[in-house]
Amino acid sequence: MVKKRRLRLIAEMARKIRAYRELKSRPRESQKYALDYESMKRPLTGKMLPVLAWQDVRRESRLFSLLAGMRLFGVGRMFTRKSWLEDHTEPSYWEVTKVKVDYTSENMDHGRAWGILTLKGKQEKDVKEMDKVMYHDWRVVPKHMEEQLKDFEPLPEPPVRYVPYPPLVRAMMLAEHKKRTGSVLAEEPVLPLKRDVLLNKDYFRKQEQETQRTEGTPV
Amino acid sequence: MAASIWKRCVTAAVKVKCLSPSLSARRWILSAAYTDTKAWEAREKDPQNLAVLATTMDRTYDRNLPVSSLTVSRFVDNISSREEVDQAEYYLYKFRHSPNCWYLRDWTIHSWIRQCLKYGAREKALHTVKNKVQYGIFPDDFTFNLLIDSYIMDGDFQSACSVVEEVMLQEAFDLPSTQILSLYALGSYRAMRPQLTVSEERALGASLLICGMKQDNTVGLSAQLLGNALLGKVEMLEGIHAVFKGMPLFWGHGYLGRALDVMERVATASGDVKLSKDTLDYVNDLLQELSSTSDSDSSGAESAGEEEKKEVTIDEDDQAEQAKLPQYVSRFKELSSQLESEGKVDSASFQASVTALAQQNLAAAEKPDLEQYLSRVQAWEAENRQLIAREKEMRVKAEQEKQERLAAKAAAQQA
Repeated sequence: MVKKRRLRLIAEMARKIRAYRELKSRPRESQKYALDYESMKRPLTGKMLPVLAWQDVRRESRLFSLLAGMRLFGVGRMFTRKSWLEDHTEPSYWEVTKVKVDYTSENMDHGRAWGILTLKGKQEKDVKEMDKVMYHDWRVVPKHMEEQLKDFEPLPEPPVRYVPYPPLVRAMMLAEHKKRTGSVLAEEPVLPLKRDVLLNKDYFRKQEQETQRTEGTPV
Repeated sequence: MAASIWKRCVTAAVKVKCLSPSLSARRWILSAAYTDTKAWEAREKDPQNLAVLATTMDRTYDRNLPVSSLTVSRFVDNISSREEVDQAEYYLYKFRHSPNCWYLRDWTIHSWIRQCLKYGAREKALHTVKNKVQYGIFPDDFTFNLLIDSYIMDGDFQSACSVVEEVMLQEAFDLPSTQILSLYALGSYRAMRPQLTVSEERALGASLLICGMKQDNTVGLSAQLLGNALLGKVEMLEGIHAVFKGMPLFWGHGYLGRALDVMERVATASGDVKLSKDTLDYVNDLLQELSSTSDSDSSGAESAGEEEKKEVTIDEDDQAEQAKLPQYVSRFKELSSQLESEGKVDSASFQASVTALAQQNLAAAEKPDLEQYLSRVQAWEAENRQLIAREKEMRVKAEQEKQERLAAKAAAQQA
């Protein structure tokens, strides 16, 4: 028999207050992403930026450093990243739709932004939150260049290629099908070379459930 | 009230027509109708005590609550002296650094600039526009035109050019009136032949380029050529990153190449477009200067430390650009001789052609601006009234809730 737990109301209250205070004292964006340009360290955590990023940090600017000097914080303008310009030949850009600035920052330099991404010429449909906003990597697309970026037509994706299964696996599949249904499989089983599966937690959980269903428990 | 404004507009349009022939005699550009403050003063006034507004705002900020844009707009509207302009600047700064910074209204910005001009605080207006990050002042086209015109009127072309630089950073060269005014200011400033630092040259070049891209005539193309040449010079001296950082410019190398492309386009174009002679001479001098400095750099005997430092800071692509300089010089010589042979060199100076353009087109460009401005003032007034009504509603609701709470408390106390 477990002894009944004592009702420690004050401790509960203290726990709630401590959780609330922790929620309230979360560091703001401007404090989290502030940077000392001489020593390349973040004042909040004391950590240093990776060496390969130092040249970019000195030369380029953050997204909000560009947005702060624009009307309505650049809503409706397009922005590219220098790493995209170097990596992809097709144009990739974000079109800003919503901006939430951290007003405690000195030069309105930090915040969060949402927009529509066009990666390698393919435009997505929904508004997503922009990631890597605090990276020193962003460039504004001047209005006279916008047409040039938008005009791009991406090449259609090549069709998915199919490949025959290895012979033993193929024999196993045909035998299993014959056992299950009694007839011979009419068409050749093929393996698509591109899997459309997003490997995340839900997928693996579903796979486990399916194996449990077909095989039952081990004992 | 709308009818009286329309009547005033019609009489003003008549005034414009009879004033335009004597444009060359006057030193300012925009007609009196444009800079008239009567339409703006004819709005309905909302008299408020500034001290009361100031104390309310201070208390709201102390309590960490957001200040509404209506309070700030009322404060700016009711400025009546020079000291109050300074106070309003402080409150604009505080508003910008509050959660409501996105909601600073257009009419507040417009009325701020108008009040600054009225009480002689033009430098303050320029200071807030330059530090737009800190004050949140993003004027619209009409306001920019007013500001540039007031500087041109006094002949202060350097400040006019700094305003044009702000317009360039906003990329707000949409109206033809803005384009004409800025080209005039830039041309007059260049005619003064000032000594420019590299950053000033970059700003001037960028403004010339972006403004010139909107116009498709002699003036526009000469401006593009000049702009590209100046930016190419900065690129040669400091590298491409120094050119486009903080400015809405293309990040590709080869600005001098693009300048020469403009010349080629003019040379091969079939229309009546020309390039003014003094811009071509200027580009020639610029190229000579650049090639002579690069020659002296490579052949001069420098200390080893200085050379090492220079090699570290210059990128490989920038070095490739610098290597292309002699090619640019030779191509420029060919293209300029081709232009001369085709008779596409305009002997009038840049400044003179801009003035001519202003005389022809400014009156026509001003009319739609004025109409649009008047309709915009109406829209602003409507929005203002809506905001005031909403504030009154919220206040009434808060009062009611307070009464209910007090009644509930009194009832609980009695029971």
